[in-house]
Formats: sequence, C-alpha cells, structure tokens
Amino acid sequence: MNPEYVVMIVNLVIWTGIFLYLWRTDKAVKKLKQEIEDLHLSEKLD
Amino acid sequence: MSKLWKIILYTGLALIIVGAFVWAPLEPKILKEYTRIFYFHVPVAWICVLFFLIAAYYSFQFLRTKDLLYDAYAKISNELGILFAILATVTGSIWAKVTWGSFWNWDPRETSIFILLLIYGAYFSLRSAVEQEDRRARLAAVYSLLAFVTVPFFVFVVPRIYFSLHPDPVINTQGKIHLELRQRVVFFSSLIFHTVLYLWLFQMRKTQVKLQMILRLYKENKMLEE
Repeated sequence: MNPEYVVMIVNLVIWTGIFLYLWRTDKAVKKLKQEIEDLHLSEKLD
Repeated sequence: MSKLWKIILYTGLALIIVGAFVWAPLEPKILKEYTRIFYFHVPVAWICVLFFLIAAYYSFQFLRTKDLLYDAYAKISNELGILFAILATVTGSIWAKVTWGSFWNWDPRETSIFILLLIYGAYFSLRSAVEQEDRRARLAAVYSLLAFVTVPFFVFVVPRIYFSLHPDPVINTQGKIHLELRQRVVFFSSLIFHTVLYLWLFQMRKTQVKLQMILRLYKENKMLEE
C-alpha cells in the first residue's frame, strides 16, 4: 500500500478518536447542565 | 452546538484530510510531499491567535464588570490558546525538519512563537502565585491584555522585519495568494472547519466552567446556612 494512504488513514483514525472523545465530553457536560437546571441551583443563587 | 453541526464538522475535517492527501496538488519546487502540513499548520496557528484575542476580550470585560465568570472565560481561552500554540510549534518543527534539515533553527518565526509561549506560560504562573481570588483575577486580566498587545507584533511584524526561512504567509507581501484552485479549496475549508472546531471547544469549556462556578457557589451557600 502507498505510504501516503497509510498516513492519511492514521490521520483519519486520530481525528475520529478526538471527535468521539469530544462528543462524549460534550454529552457529559450537557447531562450535568440538565441535572443542575433540574435542581434549580442557578435560580437559587441569582 | 447541535448534532447536525457536529456531524458536518466531523465530515468536513475528514474530507479535508482526504483532500490534503489525495485531491490537492503538491507544491513541486520546495515543499513537495510536505505541502500537506500547510493545511493543518496554518489553521492551528490562526486558532491560537483567535483564542488569545478572545482571552483579551474577556479580560477587558472582567475589568469593566468585575464578574469572575469573565475571568474564568479568559483563563480557559488562554489555556486553549497555549494548546494550539504548542500544536502550531510542533507542526512547524516537523515542517522545519523536512525543509530546513533541523527541528529548531531559531528562525524569527520560531523565536517569536517561543517568546509567545513564554509570555502566555507566565500568565499561568502569575495566576498560581496569587491566592486572593479578586486580586488574581484583576492582575491576570491586566496581564492578559498586555500579553495580547505583543501577539500582532510577534506573529505579523517580527517575521517580516528579519530575514526568515519561513515561506511567505498565505497572503504574501505583494497581496497575492500563490495557491492553485484545489489547494485554495482545501486550505480555506480547513480554516473554516478549524474555526468551527474552535467554537465547539470553547463553548464546551465555557459551559463546564459555568457549571463548576454554580456548584462552588452552591456549596459555599450551603456551608454558610449550616
């Protein structure tokens, strides 16, 4: 296989990994935000 | 950021990787195979400057309003700015190795990014040296504003004053863009999608910091009530 394609595939795998990590983190942050909103903490502190 | 935008971002950057390797032609004289780093090195450097600019904006907002949330936003913006500055330095060093023969040559462009890294590294040293929250935020905001004043100087002025091995910037001194059509498409798409990535990262960190602040205030209030 052409080494250029190997590098391209490695790049794509790395980008997929970074993207999935960010997606999961974003989901966790949104879930936490929802939980805090459900507890009405921000209103209590305003 | 909505699910649709995330999917567009993923597909867009994946297509840019494929485009850089398969579709865009190589620069035949000097860069040859290493032309491809250009599509990632320049957008990463651009985002680094963008983060430092946003940090300066939030520092100014903090000084104006004394709202600690702005100080937290300035801090995360500088953190991400440093991360992207390191990425720009690493990609630049790889490029330097293959075109100039050495990872580090103290070229004006390399020296200026090194000084910028030191300046912004000192921002975090300053923050960790001051314990009192208000004072820390005030000093950090002033420092962040002063640090940003040096950014245009080190990024745009210094490399143009001294002789540099660094290739001409995208828009060179004659005001022209020496890129072929397919190179332009991949390059400008890369700039746009990296900016979208920047927006996503920053929005996520902002929400995270805001939640941390709400929880901290809640805990403090609870302790006071007890």
